[in-house]
Amino acid sequence: MTQVLTAKSLGIRITLCLAALAVVMCLCALMGSQKVSLRKVLTGPGSSPGENIDYEILVGIRLPRVILAALVGAALACSGVVLQAILRNPLADPYILGISSGAGLGAIAAVLSGATWSFWGGSPIAAFAFAGAIVTVWLVWLIGRAAGKSQITNLLLAGVVINAFLSAVIMFLTSIARSDQVHSTIFWLMGNITEKGPSALGVSAGCILAGTVGLFGVSHRLNILSLGEQEAKSLGVDTAKTQIVAFALAAFITAIAVSLSGLVGFVGLVVPHGVRLVCGPDHRHLLPISAIIGGAFLVAADTLARIIVAPAQLPVGVITAIAGGPFFLVLLARHSRKISWLK
Amino acid sequence: MNKLWWLLLTIVCLAGAGFLILKIFPDQRPNAAAPATAVNRIVSLAPNLTEILFALGLGEKVVAVSSDSDYPPEAANKNKVGTFWQPNTEAIIASKANLVITECFEQQKSVAVTLHRLGYRVLPLKIESIEAMLTAIKDIGDATGTQNRADKLDEDITNRLDNLRSKLAARNKVKVLWVVQTEPLRVAGTNTFLNELLELVGGENAIGPTIQQYPPLGTEELLACGAQAIIQSAMGVDNIPEQQQAAEKFWGRWPTLPAVRNNRIYVIDPDTTLRLGPRLCQGLDLVAHCLHPDMDGHE
Repeated sequence: MTQVLTAKSLGIRITLCLAALAVVMCLCALMGSQKVSLRKVLTGPGSSPGENIDYEILVGIRLPRVILAALVGAALACSGVVLQAILRNPLADPYILGISSGAGLGAIAAVLSGATWSFWGGSPIAAFAFAGAIVTVWLVWLIGRAAGKSQITNLLLAGVVINAFLSAVIMFLTSIARSDQVHSTIFWLMGNITEKGPSALGVSAGCILAGTVGLFGVSHRLNILSLGEQEAKSLGVDTAKTQIVAFALAAFITAIAVSLSGLVGFVGLVVPHGVRLVCGPDHRHLLPISAIIGGAFLVAADTLARIIVAPAQLPVGVITAIAGGPFFLVLLARHSRKISWLK
Repeated sequence: MNKLWWLLLTIVCLAGAGFLILKIFPDQRPNAAAPATAVNRIVSLAPNLTEILFALGLGEKVVAVSSDSDYPPEAANKNKVGTFWQPNTEAIIASKANLVITECFEQQKSVAVTLHRLGYRVLPLKIESIEAMLTAIKDIGDATGTQNRADKLDEDITNRLDNLRSKLAARNKVKVLWVVQTEPLRVAGTNTFLNELLELVGGENAIGPTIQQYPPLGTEELLACGAQAIIQSAMGVDNIPEQQQAAEKFWGRWPTLPAVRNNRIYVIDPDTTLRLGPRLCQGLDLVAHCLHPDMDGHE
């Protein structure tokens, strides 16, 4: 880690990654089970549905889906970086503190209640999952705090136990649900990216981008925090405040991602490690680059999920784990000798 | 704390930007879902909906179906737009449909919402009982301008059901266990349409009310339920005789169960009984003959 990070080199890296993300998104938007002719798309929407199919497929279906995948991937990867830093644990991922089971419980409650209203273009599942995730994380935080000084371990333990407890509740609810409800929930739990309306996309894009920018703002303090709490304090960092801010923002963007697409696994764990292995552990670039690469990774994975068994589709979680796992192992084997994990 | 306020402000601004985008690209086309002039390109996302469409004589107008729509045989040759559980919105649009008929559970609902947003005409139907199926037939008739055929089909099914009911009313109720899965053992509970079918053909569910719709059954409850007949939905329609043999072997473990003792285990065609569609009466006849083997010939 002799190289020094300057604003210029950071800017260049981020621009390069953004360009790569844009290329991936464009390519993926052009791939799919149906062939789309760009020339026809450019003639604009027809006056009635079905008049310009190419436009409807590209602009109405694929583009929102590609954007959604990029947002979810970015949020999960970013939140993974932050939780690995705060918890100082390489196994941490966005779901480790109970968000997944809280959101899952919310989702299954929404399915069971049969609610059908919509809210900012979101479904009851999205709203319930978001609420479930936020409440659970807040609960874990409170318990972790109440338990005493060695906060990090307590936080992790509280998260693991609440995860286990809520998973049991989810299993109970699944066992009494109707078969179509069970199916709906299982697809959700496997991570399922579907088409969302522009309003849902707009709002969540705003929130996720803001959260990511906010986390970038504390990234230099995450560097110091990952040395250890005592060391950070002695260097003059207000550890408690940094932890709360970073934790709250990470939980917030994860909850939004989860409410949009269910539990897409693996992105939040593997992308931060992959980026760390290649670029080093400085959070000032680790965080934005992970977000961008996470977005690109999920866009590519979702495209595979769309086309591999077309016209049917796979849950995207299947692809992220199957494709991400071996790729990560290769990275691990090639780069881990260069860099030890943190420090 | 100052920075926190800045952050909040950014979030609010960006969320506001989201709403602005919303105004530029409205969630729904202004003239969306105008009543279609003539429905002539229909997509069906469920096998029973496909069967209803064909029964209403709309087979020619069906342009694409879900991949599990295999009856009537012509339906199997239609274009496919994904599975029942994972419909493919792109493929539906590419089929140039002007009416899409869907079920109401989460996956199909989200497809229906997207299509509706793009201005397509969508007919979501919730079919979980015989009553709902009859209503759905009428709804499809209304949406496709085939009210007369729908009324006729409705009348036909209702008559056959009444006929069956009156023929079986005087008979003793047979206690039935309707098995949906053997390992682990799961049966149809009282709050299912399979229970409705059973009661229609002079049977009664061997197990009482449960909180689960399809409760798992332990050996103790199994032996205590005193089922006089066991009906098992086959997995696929190809090798029912083999499945029958396997089922007899499986149930042979509990010879004290009346159904096993009297060799009254029936593996039956799942398509006519599990699909709430126009072939349901055939399925009901099938079940009726299992429960009352002495009943006079097929109708």
